Amino acid sequence: MNIKKVAVIGAGVMGSGIAAHIANAGIAVDLLDVLATENNNRNAIAEGAITKMLKVQPSPFMHPKNAKLITCGNIDDDLAKLTDADWVIEAVIENPAIKQSLYQQLDSICRADTLISSNTSTLPLSILTEKQSDSFKRRFMITHFFNPPRYMRLLEWVAPAELDPNLLKAITEFADIKLGKGCVQCNDTPGFIANRIGTFWMQTAVLEAFNHKLSIEQCDAAMQLFGIPKTGVFGLLDLIGLDLMPHILSNFKQSLSSDDPLYDIAELPPQIESMITEGYTGRKGKGGFYRLQSTGNKKSKESVNLLNGEYSASEHFKIPGISHKPEDLRTFLEGDDKLNHYVWKVWSDTLTYCAELIPEIANNIVSIDNAMKLGYNWRYGPFELLDRLGTKWFTNKLTLQQRPIPTLLNQGKSLYHTEAGSLQYLDKTAQYFPVHRAKGVILLADIKLQSPPLLHNPSASLWDIGDSIVCLEFHSKMNTLDPDSLGLIQSSIELIKTHYKGLVIYNEAEHFSAGANLALLMPAIIEKDQETITSIIRLGQNSYQALKYAHFPVVGAPSGLALGGGCEILLHCDAIQAHAELYMGLVEVGVGIIPGWGGCKELLRRCINLPKQAGGPMPPIAKCFETIALAKVSKSAQEAKDLLFLAKDDAISMNKDRLLADAKARALALAKNYQIPQETTYTLPGKTAAAALDLAINTQHLSGKASDYDVEISRHLANVLTGGDADINRSLNEQQLFDLELQAFVHLIQQQNTLARLQHMLKTGKPLRN
Amino acid sequence: MKNVIIAAYARSPFTPAYKGELAGIRADDMTAQVVKRLISESDINPNDIEDLILGCAFPEGEQGMNLARLVVHLAELPISIAGMTVNRFCGSSMQAIHIAAGAIKMNAGEAFICAGVESMSRVPMGGFNYMPNPTLYQRYPQAYMSMGETAENLAQKYHISRVEQERFSLLSQQKTHTAQQKSLLVNEIVPITTDKGQNITQDGCLRPESTAQGMADLNPAFIKNGSVTAATSSPLTDGTAAVLICSEDYADANGLDKLAHIKAVAVSACQPEIMGIGPVIASQKALQRSGLSLTDIDIVELNEAFASQSLAVLQELPIAAEKLNIDGGAIALGHPLGATGARITGKAASLLQRENKQFALATQCIGGGQGIATILEAI
Repeated sequence: MNIKKVAVIGAGVMGSGIAAHIANAGIAVDLLDVLATENNNRNAIAEGAITKMLKVQPSPFMHPKNAKLITCGNIDDDLAKLTDADWVIEAVIENPAIKQSLYQQLDSICRADTLISSNTSTLPLSILTEKQSDSFKRRFMITHFFNPPRYMRLLEWVAPAELDPNLLKAITEFADIKLGKGCVQCNDTPGFIANRIGTFWMQTAVLEAFNHKLSIEQCDAAMQLFGIPKTGVFGLLDLIGLDLMPHILSNFKQSLSSDDPLYDIAELPPQIESMITEGYTGRKGKGGFYRLQSTGNKKSKESVNLLNGEYSASEHFKIPGISHKPEDLRTFLEGDDKLNHYVWKVWSDTLTYCAELIPEIANNIVSIDNAMKLGYNWRYGPFELLDRLGTKWFTNKLTLQQRPIPTLLNQGKSLYHTEAGSLQYLDKTAQYFPVHRAKGVILLADIKLQSPPLLHNPSASLWDIGDSIVCLEFHSKMNTLDPDSLGLIQSSIELIKTHYKGLVIYNEAEHFSAGANLALLMPAIIEKDQETITSIIRLGQNSYQALKYAHFPVVGAPSGLALGGGCEILLHCDAIQAHAELYMGLVEVGVGIIPGWGGCKELLRRCINLPKQAGGPMPPIAKCFETIALAKVSKSAQEAKDLLFLAKDDAISMNKDRLLADAKARALALAKNYQIPQETTYTLPGKTAAAALDLAINTQHLSGKASDYDVEISRHLANVLTGGDADINRSLNEQQLFDLELQAFVHLIQQQNTLARLQHMLKTGKPLRN
Repeated sequence: MKNVIIAAYARSPFTPAYKGELAGIRADDMTAQVVKRLISESDINPNDIEDLILGCAFPEGEQGMNLARLVVHLAELPISIAGMTVNRFCGSSMQAIHIAAGAIKMNAGEAFICAGVESMSRVPMGGFNYMPNPTLYQRYPQAYMSMGETAENLAQKYHISRVEQERFSLLSQQKTHTAQQKSLLVNEIVPITTDKGQNITQDGCLRPESTAQGMADLNPAFIKNGSVTAATSSPLTDGTAAVLICSEDYADANGLDKLAHIKAVAVSACQPEIMGIGPVIASQKALQRSGLSLTDIDIVELNEAFASQSLAVLQELPIAAEKLNIDGGAIALGHPLGATGARITGKAASLLQRENKQFALATQCIGGGQGIATILEAI
């Protein structure tokens, strides 16, 4: 079945967020809530939700235009119209009677092949399907999205035995391919997988923080070592809302058996109860464990002292000498101070609990690992973390403490291992089974298990991904680009020319590339070593140009950040297959420079070729200038198309796991009858256009929107984009544009203000406006 | 020499650029509708019209080519009517009137349509391809100075406080709102019909809900820590206006209405960085040519490009409050650049009739450092 129309009932935070994300996939969606009785607008609740979502940042929408795909309505007037829906998602209040009554209405209204699902996070399938007909059970399941639906990749599903397998296939494929979700099958148990484990972990971490008399900064910093997002535990609870915790804990208390370890700890500490009473409910309230205090124009972060409930300035707590490496983590967990004891207690309890939940909540460890990675943004699933620590080391430590060993771990076997180049997981029967990948998914992580790289250096590797296509992977810190990465581009081109059909540039890190490695450039900048700076700029220009005019197709496949030099390499590709979550931009002005590796040249080409714009030489120059001078960064791949970082024909993959396969298919398609692109020539107006841009810069400066140094950078950028001394009757080639970029770059990099911007960025990660 | 008169005046509603009701309508289409109605209601034989002179400040894109001649065709006027597009920025359509008056005086025609238009939604200020002379820009950058900056310069030079500007602007809003409430603007407005058959009948820029406090809360629009805000500047506007100019003999012979004589005209120039002061010298020249003094003038239409600019002019030309912009001005009504000259001249002529007064002055400042003025006398 092809899902063309979806309906969501319930326009609360989850329902409206789900509707927005379905619209992000380009699918029409009806959003219904109860009838609004005030102001003569019967659809006011659903419409209000859309209005609110259009203002929220980070936005539930990948593009504001997606809101137009949502049709608002109300249950009284519009439920009967849902005959055209292929999938109806119920996201109403967690009340079984209300849900069951709605299901009965939907069952009589919807087509027989319409799937009806619930987004419940607390009610079991058995209660939802109680007293429902067999025919209803053939078309009903739980599809549990995580908040916010656009950004959290997990979709937990629970299905009755009676569910039509064709419907299940259609919905899970749709969720995977169109919505980009990682679908994880769960058993019908309280809180399913992620929230059961997540709540246990958070609750343990909170209670033990009180027991160990630690500061919340210490606890959160220690958690990050184990691949937990920066928010840590206390920051995450602020995000979720402290006031939700009593409901979540009481639900578990009611639904779990009394011998479940979570049952024992599902009590809210009185200190947190007091915080909730006083309005400290987290980010949506006055603050939570952390709060932001404003003094004048400055905001400062404060943390609560768990012992006395008082706030004081947050400390930036660092754990010296401990990295993410397994041996460091083991050393840390074996340490003797109270922070070491705390972290061991939290992780040993959590990992043991996870091991004991197989097969109760999930059939295998892969489901649990995926659920925690996709639903809680853990870098490693609990079993992957156990493997990193070493199961034998872990169980030995448990034994020393005379604690029971979960059955799954009692043989001390690795939880994952590689057999003949394929990844396998340990089953509850102590046997290994292959980790299943959905059809159409290629992961570089799997390819790495099969064969060594074709080329390799500390910053980049080249991998054979089959069918005569190779993959260039960056793997430096934040995938910043340096002479090693650029060098590997050049050697890759030589190899591909004779042995392969095409190249995909892709990696599986959180971010495609944060741009050039500025730290590496710093010594040359401080020394004002023009020769070195020039050679690095020329190396980047030549490498990217060589990619552009290679004898084979090059497909960029970015996800996450693609900034500066990372954006510029993509602009030189024949095509881009982008992950939907793409934050792409030429942000060089933030560090006092302009794009020097062809970013100006390539974005200008795209602006000039844009068909729908006013004629004449200025509109494309003005568009390009605005994008670079304001360091615009797309907030999605859809937005990157508006900014012309992606071309009209570039494609978007919603599921990150499918990005490499999609990019490879694109490269193969391009390889058929591939023709090297023609050299671009530019007809630019020169000084007159620079004067026009200067007037605009001056206006920005006068109004206080541009700083003194912004003006200087902008003038150099204007000189490049208008062609320097060009005349409208003479054309420039790409090399001349490269030369102008270089000239501006070398000038700016020697300025004290640029140095200050660079140093500030390297120190704080934030731009300086001097 | 022949007497030159204004026989009729009409305009479209003025609506805010981009978000107003006229944003979707081409400049030539709206002008054709107003011109067509002006002609039909004035009872002139269109075959007698010599020329259609059309002012436009950014005559490019949809406003490009020779817009005036194209409007002749769009308005289905006789093929014999010539067309000339005139650009003196904000003074364009007042200049169109001056050209027609001069032509009539030298017996180069009996009747002229003098119109003006600007779709600031569809052709941006500065045009699509703003390309200043780089040498002049370096040597004399004020030749290209932005209008907001010039308004700030006048506020500084004439010590005009932000509060004074806001008071002036609030008064403009109130006068325009009152005029609208009393239906005093209805007769001059020609409804514009969209291609979907919708009729646009009302001015849309007014902000009758404006308050002194609301204005005081706004950020400066052009210069950080400056005094000029969006509330004390005329808004970007779409609109068109037209007047019928002919010799008095022709009007008499053909039974046309006679709103006013054109008694004297003038243009002047000043430093570009204080372009807003332009009306002072232009008005003084016109007064001198008409043999009148400022105190003889009963009705003044002074275009409100900015409150600071208008207040600076008023320091040099002390005009009694009850004579000034009595139905409000551009701060409230809007300022479609090329159309404003025809609007304020036509408005001054019709006010002479309505208020039963003798002399009127219509004057405005012009970007780049110019002024333009027209003195009218009731018939």
